[in-house]
Amino acid sequence: MISLKNVSKLYNEGRPNEVCAAQDIDLELARNKVTVLTGPSGSGKTTLLSMIGCLTRPTTGRVFVDGAMVSGLPEKFQTELRRTKFGFVFQRFNLIRGVSVIENVMLPAAPLGPEYHELRERAQSRLERLGLGAKADMPIEFLSGGETQRAAIARALINDAPVLIADEPTANLDTVLTERFLEIVGELQSEGKTVVMTSHDPRIWQSSHVNTVVRMQDGRIIGVDA
Amino acid sequence: MKHWLRRQRYLADFTLAALARRRVKNTGLIVIYSIIVFVLASAMMFSAALRHEAGTVLAKSPELIVQQLVMGRHEMIPGSEIEKLAGIRGVAAVKGRLWGYFYDSVNGANYTFMVPDDDSYDLQPGEAILGEGIGKARDFTWDTAPLFVTSLAGKMVKFTVRETFADDSALLTADLVLISEADFRSFFDLPPDVYTDIGVSIRNEREIGTIVQKAQLVMPNARFVTRSDIERTYQRLFDWREGLMTALAAAGVLAFAIFAAEKASGLSAEEAREIGILKAIGWDTGDVIAMKLWEGGLISFGAFLAGTVFAYIHVFSFQAGLFEPILKGWAVIYPDFALAPYIDGLQLATLFAITVIPYTAATLVPIWRAATADPDQVMR
Amino acid sequence: MSLRSAIASARPTTPAFIAIAVFSVGLGLAGLHAKLSEPAENLRLAANADLVERIGLTDLALFTEARYTRHPSMADLHTAFQDHPASFEHFPSGIFVPPPTGLASGTLSTSIEDLSQ
Repeated sequence: MISLKNVSKLYNEGRPNEVCAAQDIDLELARNKVTVLTGPSGSGKTTLLSMIGCLTRPTTGRVFVDGAMVSGLPEKFQTELRRTKFGFVFQRFNLIRGVSVIENVMLPAAPLGPEYHELRERAQSRLERLGLGAKADMPIEFLSGGETQRAAIARALINDAPVLIADEPTANLDTVLTERFLEIVGELQSEGKTVVMTSHDPRIWQSSHVNTVVRMQDGRIIGVDA
Repeated sequence: MKHWLRRQRYLADFTLAALARRRVKNTGLIVIYSIIVFVLASAMMFSAALRHEAGTVLAKSPELIVQQLVMGRHEMIPGSEIEKLAGIRGVAAVKGRLWGYFYDSVNGANYTFMVPDDDSYDLQPGEAILGEGIGKARDFTWDTAPLFVTSLAGKMVKFTVRETFADDSALLTADLVLISEADFRSFFDLPPDVYTDIGVSIRNEREIGTIVQKAQLVMPNARFVTRSDIERTYQRLFDWREGLMTALAAAGVLAFAIFAAEKASGLSAEEAREIGILKAIGWDTGDVIAMKLWEGGLISFGAFLAGTVFAYIHVFSFQAGLFEPILKGWAVIYPDFALAPYIDGLQLATLFAITVIPYTAATLVPIWRAATADPDQVMR
Repeated sequence: MSLRSAIASARPTTPAFIAIAVFSVGLGLAGLHAKLSEPAENLRLAANADLVERIGLTDLALFTEARYTRHPSMADLHTAFQDHPASFEHFPSGIFVPPPTGLASGTLSTSIEDLSQ
């Protein structure tokens, strides 16, 4: 479904603080599978995830989504792709403070201009599914850590994107909540979604819900365990 | 189109939800903004209405007024000059005018004593017609209360009040005391054949220039004030005043500009991060910019509308009461006048352009960089 | 849905747009008011213009504190010091009355013909 061909990423190109965050990466991500990118910090997991999710472009190499080359697309189309293909859960969740839970969940759909009540119901059903139905109108900062993460997942699901991208989703969660998260991932997979996440948490890559583990070091892939 | 509208409304929703986080600060911003628009709009409307009033009404003032100057000062003009002026071709009528000032030591007010040009007033000795301001300055308790004034010679003089001018004409007549010529001369102790100045009516208005030239040869010491001079004086006076009020408001505008620039252009780290988040979850640069346009637009357009509406009410329903202390100054008599309601479209457009557009633009400038940056920063 | 929850879940734009609409209508009404009061005002202005003609008025009675503010168009322009347009002001309204434009920009219109007369 998503493939990366000979992809490298340089940050601060041409300046003294140039960093090579990813180098010569070839990777194939299968549809309806759960893939975990793992490795020590600074190994390039997050950079790779950003390129998979069209949040940034590779310096060299190409990224394909559903067979179409997307790495060279203009920004407008990349945004469109981000909106329709991917749902994102960020490490720090990145919900907008001061705005209610349901408004946060509705945000990714706003540029599509759906009918308001339809969208609100859709957001409400996502929240209910994740056990947050009663907290929809609360400001986001009133939620606990686990609830915040579930709100972030609800937001990632609002546009029914086929791919869920998660960056260190369990970094701030205890064991029980990590288990709960993995259950949700399992449910999503059973609905046909593809999941890609980074993690250096053994609880994640040892979990039965995970199909593929990609191990990285120093910007390179050093092994793939299927 | 429907989608576009709905999308815009979502963007506006978000921007308002974000503004609501700093409710007090942003409400304060809108209130101050509205007050500034209010002051500017009031000054604009008030000046435009006064200019309109003066322009319409003073169009009927005497076509030409001739003043005698002695050593550069306005002096009484001898009646013999009337003959000289009447002899000039194109002059329809010449009439000596009598008017002057009277300082009322009872209340510190200045009155303008005048003998009306038109004989149809037919004022009898001892009769007076008063402006509305005089009764107020003198605390007249009933309509026909007589006016007692002390002449320069120390004589107490009584005038019976035949009529008081209505409020409708207060802007012209507030401090007027119209009396007969005989009373005027005896009150001010004037010799019989002198006048304050001479009013000249002219058959063909286009000839005024020529007539003034000829009159200058006959009366080299005189000063000639034409009707168009009067009009020009007033147009300029109100332009000047409007400019001054704007200048006074400018201090407020500047302070506001600093506040607004800080608010609008200083993009906090938090806001920059939020824009990154929005971009990461599928908003494009255009959405972010449109969202910020809504912020600037709603604040500034709202303030513009509120300020303008309240300014209209202030100027035309409350007679620009807030300006009264400035305009009144040391004067005791200030006319109680209502201006003809009047909105100048061009003026409104100017006000819109100087209030709404800069603010909206100021909110956009700093956003540009954040809106075009790569969204992957939120991952780091 | 109760009123309270309706308010809680109302879109933020709803009150904002209502406020904008109210003030727009207000501005419209102001324009209408100006338009509708025009005939009556024109009558009043015509009556006042008539008054100006009959009495022979030259100025507005807006500032009554000094003669150069009471009758700006009649005030003498050449008196040194006391009434000089550039003199120090005694009255607040004086700052609203501009100095004449022709101040110090006059020319001597003396020609050979004038001298020979």
